[in-house]
Amino acid sequence: MLKFIVRRVFWTIPVLLVVIFLTFIMMRQIGGNPFRQSERAVPEAVQRNLEAKFHVNDPWYQQYAYYVKGVFTFDLGPSLVVRGRDVNDIVKTHFPKSIELGVYAFLFALVLGVPLGMIAALRHNTWVDYSAMFVSNVFHAVPSFLVATLLIYFVALKAGWVPTSGWTSWEHKILPSIALGFGPMALFARLVRGTMLETLQQDYVRTARAKGLRYRRVVGLHVLRNSLIPVVTAAGPLLGFIITGSFVIELIFNIPGIGQNYVDSISNRDYSVVMGLTVLLSVIVILANLVVDILYGILDPRTRDARS
Amino acid sequence: MRSKTFWLLLAMVVASLALVAAGCGGDDEGDDAAGTGTGATTDEGGTEAAEQVITVNWGTEPPSLDPGLASDTTSANILLNIMDPLVKLDDDLNSVPYAAESVETSEDGKTVTYTLRDGLKWTNGDPVTAEDFEYSWKRTVSPELGADYAYQFYGIVGAQEYNGCDPKKDKCAALADKMAVNAVDDKTLEVKLTTPQPWFVQQSAHHSFLAVHKPTVDKFGDKWTEAENIVTNGAFTLERWEHSSAIDIVKDPDWRDADTVKLTRVNGRMIEDGTTAVQAFEADEVDALLTLPPDETARLKETAEYAQYGALGTYYYGVNVDNIPDVKQRRAMALAIPRQSIIDNIAQADQIPATGFTPEGMPGYEAINPDSPWLPPEGDLEQAKELMGEVASPKENITLYINDSPGHREIAVGVQAAWKELGIDSTIKQQEFQQYLEFLGPPPNKDVDSYRLGWIGDFVDAINFLELWTCESGNNSTNYCNKDYDALIEKARQTEDNDARYEIYGQAEEILFGEDGDMPVLPIYYYTYQGLERESIKDSFELNLLDQVDLTKVVVTE
Repeated sequence: MLKFIVRRVFWTIPVLLVVIFLTFIMMRQIGGNPFRQSERAVPEAVQRNLEAKFHVNDPWYQQYAYYVKGVFTFDLGPSLVVRGRDVNDIVKTHFPKSIELGVYAFLFALVLGVPLGMIAALRHNTWVDYSAMFVSNVFHAVPSFLVATLLIYFVALKAGWVPTSGWTSWEHKILPSIALGFGPMALFARLVRGTMLETLQQDYVRTARAKGLRYRRVVGLHVLRNSLIPVVTAAGPLLGFIITGSFVIELIFNIPGIGQNYVDSISNRDYSVVMGLTVLLSVIVILANLVVDILYGILDPRTRDARS
Repeated sequence: MRSKTFWLLLAMVVASLALVAAGCGGDDEGDDAAGTGTGATTDEGGTEAAEQVITVNWGTEPPSLDPGLASDTTSANILLNIMDPLVKLDDDLNSVPYAAESVETSEDGKTVTYTLRDGLKWTNGDPVTAEDFEYSWKRTVSPELGADYAYQFYGIVGAQEYNGCDPKKDKCAALADKMAVNAVDDKTLEVKLTTPQPWFVQQSAHHSFLAVHKPTVDKFGDKWTEAENIVTNGAFTLERWEHSSAIDIVKDPDWRDADTVKLTRVNGRMIEDGTTAVQAFEADEVDALLTLPPDETARLKETAEYAQYGALGTYYYGVNVDNIPDVKQRRAMALAIPRQSIIDNIAQADQIPATGFTPEGMPGYEAINPDSPWLPPEGDLEQAKELMGEVASPKENITLYINDSPGHREIAVGVQAAWKELGIDSTIKQQEFQQYLEFLGPPPNKDVDSYRLGWIGDFVDAINFLELWTCESGNNSTNYCNKDYDALIEKARQTEDNDARYEIYGQAEEILFGEDGDMPVLPIYYYTYQGLERESIKDSFELNLLDQVDLTKVVVTE
C-alpha cells in the first residue's frame, strides 16, 4: 500500500507540469490584454511598463519556467489586475471558504443521501421507494442555481428565516450548503439504493440470515459496508463537481470563495491568478482521487492484492 | 391502470405543478419592495433617525484603494469618501475648493496654484502638506507604478516624458524632478501646464489626484491599503475590508468638518449578482443599490425605492468608415434607428435619445449639442430609405460587433431590424469582452463594419468626449481621420474662456453630426444610472453624473 501511495504522489509532478503547460497555452491563445479592463484604451507607455513589470512579453519558455518555479516554491506571484494582491493572498483568504462550502455540501449529501437510498432499498417497490427516487431524480435534474434561487426566495426572503446572502454567521451557511448538496445527495441516494438492492440478493446475506443474525445487524454491518463502495468511487469525481459547481453557488449567495476570483480572473486575463488557481484545483482533484483510491482499497479487500 | 402506477403519476403531476407555481408565483409580491428598514415614508426635512448607519451594496470588490491605481467607479466612490480631494464638484458640477482653501489660475492659464487649508491632518496625526500632493502626483505618473490614469496628468509639463521613461534603460528620477508639480511650501502647490487647460482644476477632483501618505506607502508597499495599514485624511476612515466580502467605513470624528457629517457608519457589501442584490435589498439587509439587473428594471421602476440619475455617458455604434465609405449610407443608417422606441421597449431605463455625442448634463450642452438632423429621436425610416436610394454602391451585407454583457444583443437586434428596412443585411457577432477589445484595435479588424461601445466621462468637460474622434486617438476604432476636426480640438484645448470653448465644441459636433456631418459614429442614447434606495435615505443619497455618492451629505431620516 505504501509503495502505491508513493508512486501516485510521484506521478503528480508530471501531471502538474502538463496542467501548467496546457493552462499557459490556452490562456495565451484566447488573447486579450490583462491591463485593459474597460473600453478605455491603455496609453502605450503604460502598457509597455506593465508588460515589463509582469513579464508578459518575455519569450514563452521563460514565462513557462517562471510559472513552474512559482508553483514549486509556493510563490504564485502577484495578481496582474488586482494590484497589490498576491495570488497567495487570494488563495489564503478565499480558498478556505470554498473548501468549507464544499465540505458542508458533501456532508449534507452524505447524511441525507445515504439513508434515503437505504430506506428506498429496504422498502423496495413501495411508495417509500417511489417517492424517494422521484425526489432524487428531480433534484438530480434541477440545476443547483435554480434550487439556490428558489431557496433564497422562499426561505430567506419570504419566510425570513435566514439571511439572503453572505458567509459570516452559521445562518448564512445553511442555504448554500443545501443548494450545492442537493445534486450529490440525489446521486448518493440512487447509488446506495442500487448497490444495496444488489447486495441484498447475495448469497452471503441469505446465509447470514439463515444463521440467525438479526436483520438489522446484517444490513448495518455487511450490506451497508459493501454498498458504500460505489459511493466512495463516485466521491472522487464528485469532488470536482462540487468545486466547480460551487462557483455558481458562490456567485448567487455572495460567498467570498475562490469561485468568483477564478471566473473573474479568466475574463480579466489575470494570468498569474488563473495559473495559480488552476494548479491548486488540479492538486485538490488529484489528492481527492488518491484518497478515494486508498479508501477503496480499505473497503474492498479484493482490490488490495491487485495493487502494490 | 395499476394503482401503484396511478399514484406515481399523480405524485409527479402534483410536484410538477408545484414547481411551475413556484416559478410564476412571485409577481404579486413584486410591488411590495419596501421593508421596514430604518424608517417609514418621509417628506423632505423629516427628522433625523437616532441611528445613522446604512448598508450600501457597492456591487463588486474594489480592485484597488490606491488612488494611483484605482480605475473603476467603486474604488473611486470609496476613495473620495475616505480621502480629502483638493477640489470637489458641486451639484452643478462646478469645482469648489475642498481640502484646498483656494485655487488660482494665472493670466496665461498655464499655472495653477492650490493653497491648502490650515489644520489638515492624516489619521495618524501627521499634517497634510503640499509635499504629500507633489509626491503622490509624481508617484502616479512614475513608470514603475504603471498607473492607468497617468494620462490624466499629461497636461502637466514633463509628465508625459516621465511616464514614457523606460526604467530599464534610462534614469527616470531626473525626469521626475522635471515634472512641473512643486510644493512651494507646506501649504502651496504649484502646477505648470503645457497649454492652458480650462478644465484642469475640475479634472483635479478626480480620485487619481488624491494624496497618499508617503511613510505608509514606504513601510507597507503593496499592502498599504489594507484596513490595518491604511492612513487616510477624509471624512470617513476605513475600518474593515474583508476582500470580496465587506468593506466598512466609519466617520472620523477628528476630520476638519466632522460636525457636518451625519452618518456614523457605512457598511459595504459586494454582491455582484444582480438578483441576489435585489433580494438582499428586499430582505432589509441592504439600504442602497447602485445598479439594477436589466431584467428586473421594469418591475422595480414601480416601487417607491427606485432611483434614477443622469449619467455622463454615451452609448453608440461606431462605423468603420473604410468599409462603409459613403457618408450617405452612414447617415441613412443613423436616420433609420428608432432611438426612443429602443429606449422604451428594450433598454427601459429612461435613457435619453442621443442627438449628438456629448451627453446631456455636460456644462455647455446647449451650445455643444448639434441637434443633429440625422439623429431624430423617433428615427425617420422614410427619409432614411430615400437617402439609401441615393447611395451609389451601398454595402448591403455588414457585420455588427457587440460584446457579451447583458442588454447589448437585444438592442442590436432592434437596430438590425431597422437596417433591414433599408435593404441592409446585418450579421450580429457577439464576442467576449477582452477578445472584443482586441478586435476593435484600433485599427479595427477588417471584418468590423460597425460595432457597439459606450464612453463614460472621466471629468466634466466635453473635450473628454470629443477628443475620441481625432486621428491619433487610441479609442477611435472607426478609421475616421479628419484634419479639420483635429485642428478644431487643438484650438479648443487652447481656449480658456468657457463659452468660447463650448462654441468650438459645438462646431466639432457639427463636423461629425451636422447637416454635412461625417457620421463616423451613430450615437444611440445617453446613459442613466438606476438603483434602489431605502426611503429613509432617498432624499439625501444622490449619485452625480459621474456615478459618485457623497456620503458626507447623506442623512437617515425617521
